[in-house]
Amino acid sequence: MDLATLIEAVVKVHVVLGFVLLGVPLIVWMERKVLGHMQDRIGPQRVGPYGLLQTIADGIKLFMKEDILPTQADKVVYFLAPGISVVTALAAMTVIPFGDSISLFGREIPLRITDVNIALLFLLGATSMGVYGIVLGGWASNSKYPLLGGLRSSAQMISYELAQGISLIGVIMITGSLSLNEIGRAQEKLWFIVPQFFAFVIYVVCSVAETNRAPFDLAEAETELVAGFHTEFSSMKFALYFLAEYANMMVVSGVAITCFLGAWHGPILPGPLWFFIKLTCFLFFYIWLRATFPRLRYDQLMAFGWKVLLPASLVNLAATAVFLTVKG
Amino acid sequence: MAPTVPLVWYQVLAAILFTIGVVGVLVRRSALIIFMSIELMLNAVNLSFVAFSRQHASMDGHIIVFFVMAVAAAEVAIGLAIIVAIFRNKETASVDDVHLLKG
Amino acid sequence: MFESLLFAMLAGIAIGCALGVVFHRNPVHCALLLVGVLLSVAGIFILLHAQFVAALQVIVYAGAIMVLFLFVVMLLNIKGETPLLTPGAAKAFGFLFALIVFVELIWTAVEPAPEGQGMPQALPLPSDFGSPAALGRVLYTVWLYPFEITSILLLVAVIGAVVLAKRKFF
Repeated sequence: MDLATLIEAVVKVHVVLGFVLLGVPLIVWMERKVLGHMQDRIGPQRVGPYGLLQTIADGIKLFMKEDILPTQADKVVYFLAPGISVVTALAAMTVIPFGDSISLFGREIPLRITDVNIALLFLLGATSMGVYGIVLGGWASNSKYPLLGGLRSSAQMISYELAQGISLIGVIMITGSLSLNEIGRAQEKLWFIVPQFFAFVIYVVCSVAETNRAPFDLAEAETELVAGFHTEFSSMKFALYFLAEYANMMVVSGVAITCFLGAWHGPILPGPLWFFIKLTCFLFFYIWLRATFPRLRYDQLMAFGWKVLLPASLVNLAATAVFLTVKG
Repeated sequence: MAPTVPLVWYQVLAAILFTIGVVGVLVRRSALIIFMSIELMLNAVNLSFVAFSRQHASMDGHIIVFFVMAVAAAEVAIGLAIIVAIFRNKETASVDDVHLLKG
Repeated sequence: MFESLLFAMLAGIAIGCALGVVFHRNPVHCALLLVGVLLSVAGIFILLHAQFVAALQVIVYAGAIMVLFLFVVMLLNIKGETPLLTPGAAKAFGFLFALIVFVELIWTAVEPAPEGQGMPQALPLPSDFGSPAALGRVLYTVWLYPFEITSILLLVAVIGAVVLAKRKFF
């Protein structure tokens, strides 16, 4: 491994990390403004122009708060749990392609941190490990509501992971590869949302459930279990959980864009810019869902995941397989 | 492309992990920890199979690991259901306390 | 050289976490250390060019089976038992037996074999070794029958778990 590759990798890691750490405050601001306007109010407007600096102010406030450790809490696990959430979310960002290659300094630099040939499996693995951040956070707080919230939330996540993975197999069958770069490249003529529309719908619903967002946010909603698994976390640990949730949203949006919505392909603008535009539209859709739908009750949620989405994704898989075999 | 680490070392590591699992099964009293030690032994066996598969350049080792994982998943589900059922009746998870059929 | 360093690190983490699983008091800590073992073994799988099996290990074993373990430990609120190890002669026998097993395994692996037998040199690998395509090619042709039997086994396990965990029968 020569020096140029090493420098390239380090720079790319910093760029993506900066993108996530700067993107999350922007997403939070967008959410508060969009939710506000959808609820017929304005949202933050005083701190900075159009309230843009509101999230920075909130971040500074969270940073300055007292870091409380519950007395009987398990110290090591309590310390590690938010870290696990953030690390898995950021690890999943490493395989998402932002564009095709560009030529700089005489080298072809692909616009992603890495591309393993099992990139999609790596992503599924990283999101599977993200469950631990939630279940351990709930348990380590040594308190009833966080434990229940953490267990409910993790049961929800592992249930919807199945349908999410199976819905992606249709795309994998069409492309013939698990590599996200290959899948992105294969959508030059036709976006996969057209042949795999039902898989796209199933994937989006499962992603909303995976990231614990409304209408599947029973486990962390304020009116339900106090604040769910992150009740007892204050200051920086809470900020880390918050960051992990929005980073997860970016990851699943990135995967949906890469697999179904044409990755970086678009008419005139350069690839990465189309990626960001699609990402913004997707995140707006997420926020729109939150503003519109009432929350699902927990048994409705689990029944929906196991009895509706999983059979639907299996039917989609079978139909895609039959179609591809018949087509030859 | 020959591996820089001789493949015997992988077998030795698998042997060490297997032995630690055996110690766990024989010496601990909590049913859950015994179960976890069994999973440790299964993992050691998986490692051994994958190392042999690398040596013979055959995918059969990977296939066997695939089946071992599927069977381990089934076994964990049933085993934990049994432990839950016993715990519900006797409020204990120690294997020393489940001796109704004794002598 | 990089590979040797990685192997040493991953092996050290695996052995350390395995010892922690067996000798720790709190069951949740033991489960987390077992997750550590599983992840380091997944790393060793990648060193052995078994990338699909490594991904399966993380997704299935570390991501689903161990979460199931943690659920049971947390819901039943099982505390660490006292004493930690079984007392008396049984403990000594346990360690002795494990030592015998260990010596046997090491001897089988390391002993130089008579002429014409023993482990050959590592054969060169085809380019897609360990990839999902290579595994699928073998799984659905040569190993199709065990594959179908395994699916029935999993169905039986699901039904069995649901029946065992019910509170009363109808």
